[in-house]
Amino acid sequence: MPKKRKNDPFKSFLNWLENGGNALDDEMQDALREETDEPSAPEPKKKAARKAAGKQTEEFRPKRAYADTWWYRLLAVIVAVVLIGLLLETVERMPRFGEADTLMDSELTEFYVKHTKEDTGALNIVTGIILDYRGFDTLGESHVLFIAVCTVLLMLSIYGERDEQNRLLQGEMERHFEPGDDVILQSAARVLTPLVFILGIYIILNGHLSPGGGFSGGAVLGAGLILYQNAFGYEKIEKFFTYKTFKGVSVCSLMFYSLAKGYHFFTGANRLDSHIPNGIPGNILSGGLLLPLNFVVGCVVACTMYALFTMFRKGEF
Amino acid sequence: MLEYIRAGVFAFLLLAGLFIQITAVIGVNRFRFSVNRLHPAGMADTLGLLLMALAAVVYTGFSPVTLKILLVVALFWIASPVCSHLIARLVRETDEKHFEAEAKEWKR
Repeated sequence: MPKKRKNDPFKSFLNWLENGGNALDDEMQDALREETDEPSAPEPKKKAARKAAGKQTEEFRPKRAYADTWWYRLLAVIVAVVLIGLLLETVERMPRFGEADTLMDSELTEFYVKHTKEDTGALNIVTGIILDYRGFDTLGESHVLFIAVCTVLLMLSIYGERDEQNRLLQGEMERHFEPGDDVILQSAARVLTPLVFILGIYIILNGHLSPGGGFSGGAVLGAGLILYQNAFGYEKIEKFFTYKTFKGVSVCSLMFYSLAKGYHFFTGANRLDSHIPNGIPGNILSGGLLLPLNFVVGCVVACTMYALFTMFRKGEF
Repeated sequence: MLEYIRAGVFAFLLLAGLFIQITAVIGVNRFRFSVNRLHPAGMADTLGLLLMALAAVVYTGFSPVTLKILLVVALFWIASPVCSHLIARLVRETDEKHFEAEAKEWKR
């Protein structure tokens, strides 16, 4: 049990810094408990009382074995400081951004830097790598996202409830605590949502030219959808984004990705000409398959984010 | 002379921003109720961010990047107060014992 140690200034400072007035919190909880006329355990014989109370009450007591001892806190602070120092040290050792001889210590990076532009037509080497050299990996990632949504759909869906009344009641309960029409949020969302969507579309379509790509742009789009839904409610968003839309967009995107990548692998493995022009690096319509693949990945990620949000919030689309 | 003034302004802005951020961190950990905690949290996102962004602007001088930094500040100033408002509203609507406990705290 932690003793009261008001005398040690360092320990009390740590205590103060890390969890405010925990001791006062306890007193207040006791006061609240007295008000509700619950019998509270006598203070001096707490250990014995806990043993006597058995396992059932012990489960609901907060466990404060390690986290409350002074050496644990001291150790935590030391570990955090050491880690922060190490990270800062590493940042100091890293090569400066944009220097010419940064990546010249590995054969693979040298190969990518030299050949990505002519192989894939992408100025953004990262996109060239993840969607062309390692396209199979990204294909799997997109499917993992889709499978995650399917699993959440299976586990959280309230469509399957046999009892119609029960289902409606559940939906009512979920909606009871949601903040409804909020004028402040709506006027902020009116400004922010178009900007968020434009930024997301820009990141996706410019993925082969500048930093970004399908995953980050899709995340931005999904965040925009969530913001719009929060501000204006389900009626507004169901005018253009329903469960049907989600199904169609996700499945079509993944099928297109699989087919295009399969075609690419087939022709590449058999040393055939794939008839997909790379274009002039730097143009928006260049990079062969990179632009449509980025678009497709962005669609999947945006749909996934919004679907996870609605499933966890409402239990249905 | 002008360089010294610029360095002084930069240092002042950066230190003021850091002071506000540190105050916010301590406040978020120190206060006991969620609405009280909202106050330092919102302060960090608006005033602290503004001061540090201005420090960056002073340090680099005027350039196209300046406009981007100011855009970031503008977007944060739109978004962050709305977040605080929503959290406060949610606390008021859902946490029934909250104000009771707080009143008890102020009485002592």
